Amino acid sequence: MYCPIDDRPASRPFRPARLLSRSLPVVLFLAMAITAKAQSSLSEGYAREIAPLSATERVGSEVWFNATAFNDRFFTYGFQQRVGGLIDWYGILAAEKKKDIFQAWGGIPDPDCCVPGEPNCPAKSLSETYGFQWCPGDDVLLKYIGKYGYPDPACDLTDVPAQGADQRQSACDLHFGTSTGILGLRKFPNPRFDRSAWLKLNGDKPESWEGYRGALNVFPTDAQNRTSRLFDGSIEPPYRIGMACGACHIGYKPDKPPADPNHPAWENIDGLVGNQYSRVSNILGSGFGKHALEWQLIARARPGIVDTSALPMDYVSNPGTMNAIINFKQRPLHEHEILKWRRAAACPAGTQAEKCWCEPGKLGKCWERSTKKELQPNILKGGEDSIGIKEAIQRVYFNIGSCSEQCWLNHIPDLRAADPKQRNYGQTPFDIGQCRRDCASFRAIEDRLDDIEAFFFTARPTDLWKARGLASPEALEAELDQQFFPGAVKRGRDIYARQCASCHSSGKPPFDNTDFRATVPGDPTLRADWLGNDELEPASEIGTYAGRSLHSNHMRTRVWEQYAALDIHERPRDPARPEVMAGAGRGYYRNISLLSAWAHAPFMHNNAIGPEICGKPADKQVDFYDSPYVDAEGKPIASPPACLSYDTSVAGRYQLYVASMRDMLNPGKRIDKMHLLDDDIIIDIAPKLQNPELNKLLGLEISVRIPKGYPALAINSLRFKDLIQDTVLRRTDAQKLDEKYAGLLNAKQLADLKDGLQRLILDAILKDRPTVLELAADRDRFVQRFYSNNLGRVENSGHRFGETLSDQDKDALIAFVATL
Amino acid sequence: MNMQNLLRAIAVIGVLLLGAGIYVCYTKHGTPERPVISFAPLTDGALKDPDNPLKIFHVDFAKLEHDLPLSRADRAKLTPENLTVLSQEEIDQIYARLTAGPVPDGFMRGNLFFENGVDGLKSRLAEILGGGLGTVADAKIDTLEKLGRSMWKGKYFFRDERVLRNVIEDFKPLEALIEAPDRLQTVEIPRQGLLSYVSPNSTAWLLFPAKLYCGQSLVDGRRESIIIDYAYTNDLPGYMERPDALAGRGGLAIRDEIRMVRPGFYLGRAYANRIFLLNFTVYDAETAENGLQAFLDGKPVAEDCWAGEQGMAAAP
Repeated sequence: MYCPIDDRPASRPFRPARLLSRSLPVVLFLAMAITAKAQSSLSEGYAREIAPLSATERVGSEVWFNATAFNDRFFTYGFQQRVGGLIDWYGILAAEKKKDIFQAWGGIPDPDCCVPGEPNCPAKSLSETYGFQWCPGDDVLLKYIGKYGYPDPACDLTDVPAQGADQRQSACDLHFGTSTGILGLRKFPNPRFDRSAWLKLNGDKPESWEGYRGALNVFPTDAQNRTSRLFDGSIEPPYRIGMACGACHIGYKPDKPPADPNHPAWENIDGLVGNQYSRVSNILGSGFGKHALEWQLIARARPGIVDTSALPMDYVSNPGTMNAIINFKQRPLHEHEILKWRRAAACPAGTQAEKCWCEPGKLGKCWERSTKKELQPNILKGGEDSIGIKEAIQRVYFNIGSCSEQCWLNHIPDLRAADPKQRNYGQTPFDIGQCRRDCASFRAIEDRLDDIEAFFFTARPTDLWKARGLASPEALEAELDQQFFPGAVKRGRDIYARQCASCHSSGKPPFDNTDFRATVPGDPTLRADWLGNDELEPASEIGTYAGRSLHSNHMRTRVWEQYAALDIHERPRDPARPEVMAGAGRGYYRNISLLSAWAHAPFMHNNAIGPEICGKPADKQVDFYDSPYVDAEGKPIASPPACLSYDTSVAGRYQLYVASMRDMLNPGKRIDKMHLLDDDIIIDIAPKLQNPELNKLLGLEISVRIPKGYPALAINSLRFKDLIQDTVLRRTDAQKLDEKYAGLLNAKQLADLKDGLQRLILDAILKDRPTVLELAADRDRFVQRFYSNNLGRVENSGHRFGETLSDQDKDALIAFVATL
Repeated sequence: MNMQNLLRAIAVIGVLLLGAGIYVCYTKHGTPERPVISFAPLTDGALKDPDNPLKIFHVDFAKLEHDLPLSRADRAKLTPENLTVLSQEEIDQIYARLTAGPVPDGFMRGNLFFENGVDGLKSRLAEILGGGLGTVADAKIDTLEKLGRSMWKGKYFFRDERVLRNVIEDFKPLEALIEAPDRLQTVEIPRQGLLSYVSPNSTAWLLFPAKLYCGQSLVDGRRESIIIDYAYTNDLPGYMERPDALAGRGGLAIRDEIRMVRPGFYLGRAYANRIFLLNFTVYDAETAENGLQAFLDGKPVAEDCWAGEQGMAAAP
């Protein structure tokens, strides 16, 4: 019998560390010596790396690396069944596929995990681990597969001693689990697992997942391509897989890269630098065949970028990079009008819970929602996460599915809910207060945001001179001058001051005498200049692919409304954008920081300017590189430039930087990049029934086919629900159609819209009565004009600043920026 | 006619009249009054989408349940009949304030119903698909709806196996669609209507097997529902492609979900290819009636699925 209360790890009835930490210092010392099975004690290497940090920074690191905050249910149930995503976890995490973790998925291999049967591996056979790698803590975890009561390592996290009574939510609710073999991906024993059913399904081999994920051959047309056995929710796998923030943000240290990126050591690993090789998008779509709409929606991203707004389904193709979290203490602040929850000692009597709420049983732990002007950074690439660093950190956890059931899933649309009267038709605003009340893991994270922020503040830029093992910045300058030309760095500095610093400096002009590499007094590691002003500029002025700037989740009534400052809601749209949309702040990018730019190429928010990079997995089935290079007609070019193999070395990063800078400063030489569908998409609205007689009686046979070679961006950004609604209104209630577009379209545009809808209905639907609706060119132009959230197609366009510099000046600029 | 035969005839006529009276009462109860329970406003007028002023918002389920929890007394007011007079949003608001409860066991009589005031599935699909495609769909859907209304009698839950089979009235014309009518599983179910006084049970087919598991609701993600999944049933004993495939992944891709109103009474939602089709109830009169008082007295009810964190704590 399933016992739902056991979905959470039991809190330890006796917490020696916590009790003793409030006692005598000598006892505290003893307690510290005997407690903790959290990651720091499971891994000597990790513990060694975080040892120099303060207590609060260490806690922050542990949470950042390991806490999933209850999203293992999301990545086992919610993502598949409710969102319609599909992940083949075994295909990614199987021990026998360890060699491809980095090359295929860009995952950072966990140095502490081993393949069962290898020398010194505690597990001797794959059957012991159900085919996964063995990782520290699995000696306990494996005993709880199919059982309740797993003692999650998070319960043993040694929190910073509390000031007064400890009001924090139990650390158990952080949900650490153990490593999967990829840092940031965590595994949990599935209490619902039925071993006998698993063995029956998988040919008596516990390590085999083939019955669970294997090809379906009952119906020839759906084998692997249209449906997958992985959607069968009646089968419970041995593990539930969760995701920590580290899954995207853990990367290799630019100045201390691994000799072999497939086998790193802890000293090579950094939790905040960002993983520019990660293919998280491909992970999230790994269970689909390529015919599936969802595969083409999710998995069209280059390494190092992920469309974090895709899960809330904003219908904007806008994958973005995992930024390096460095030098945050110097990040520019901006005044915003902010409505948010703030800590309070108590709530006035009679206050509504929507305005002030005290956590039951926690004296004085209250929150009040109020509006104030505050100085806060513009976070995210459009600056839309703008109510505070801590809130932005907390929101990351929702992006990765934490508390999804308690407070998130009901606010995102169902892809196939096409009836506008129904729930789940579109986004609704996530309610922070409700989530705090109803999700223990929200509180567990929130109560440790100070720790995570402290951890963030430990990160510093990586200087190229140090990475090269040179004695000083001047030695690097000499090397760069030698590479480019004598005096290149100094000349580059002047160009930077004159042409770049107005956006890429947090200082104030004039910049003639600015030391862009100055450090803060008293801290020689902390740069004074953020090398970006974080100001918001219209994307049309920058000219780059606008997807990220157009994302709409922060708008009023949308899912992340409460994470945007009020002034962002009111900001007019970029008037130069051609898309049909109201205001609410869309169409802006913030200027980014160029700190350690040498280590973070390719460039721009989508890593599109610069060479394409790729891994070389041994298993070609998981080689996800496809050339995005197209000609002026948007067709693939015959001989595209080859992708550059992942090279995490200092020299490799630097070479990629130089090539990317040249690409950026020479826009006329760029070859357009546009991801095209690499297979037909077939969307079954009402499929043909497999049995001919049943099909004759009841089959509908209505499918939409979008051909291979179509721009993926055009599909990903389509407001298809609006199109369906308008098609119905065109036939049934033209007045409502007028009402819908009043203020959005002028009379001519509205007439065009109606005309186009009428043609669509007459030609594509009534006249042809097709069983497969093909996307024709003229039809597509009309649909895209009115229903695309992003009419940009070329991914590496724009940012032409510096184009007119001489070749020598461009070299000078490349040389100088490498020193930043 | 001798006296004995006359008495017999009177007795039979009496039984028939009694049956007819009960039947009339029963059918009168087919238009029941609305249950007196609290609902949030059916739309949330405070929210206006900047891009689409026609977009309709509803009150968030978490707020609804926090502000207006459904008490056991409220749930006792609900019947399979009076649910049918409610609007779809009201049905949704009830569903969201329920938990999955225990996976049922045995036969449960079924009733399907569409949004009140809407002409069944046809108009909904026609609207969604657009005029042309909707027209194409209408005739087929009409057939399906008629089949469903007239022949679907309920669901037979095999709790221990986590399997369900639909109870379909034995109907000769349907046999042509069935691969091997002689191999069909059958079940005896209580008969309803006048004939029940003459012959209390009838034989029905067990068709369209489905797997039962705890899973995600497609309308309220805050807690699990009991999922009735027809997609992967070809490995179940007795699976018969014709007609069972009709509901499966190669057919209409039906997926139902149910939550417990009270013991013996569940409210469900049916989806085809993830598109919402209709509501239904399954009801076991004996369990529902015998267990009502204990339920009202606060006796704990088993929860086989994850009940979420907001829980039902606010509901007395």
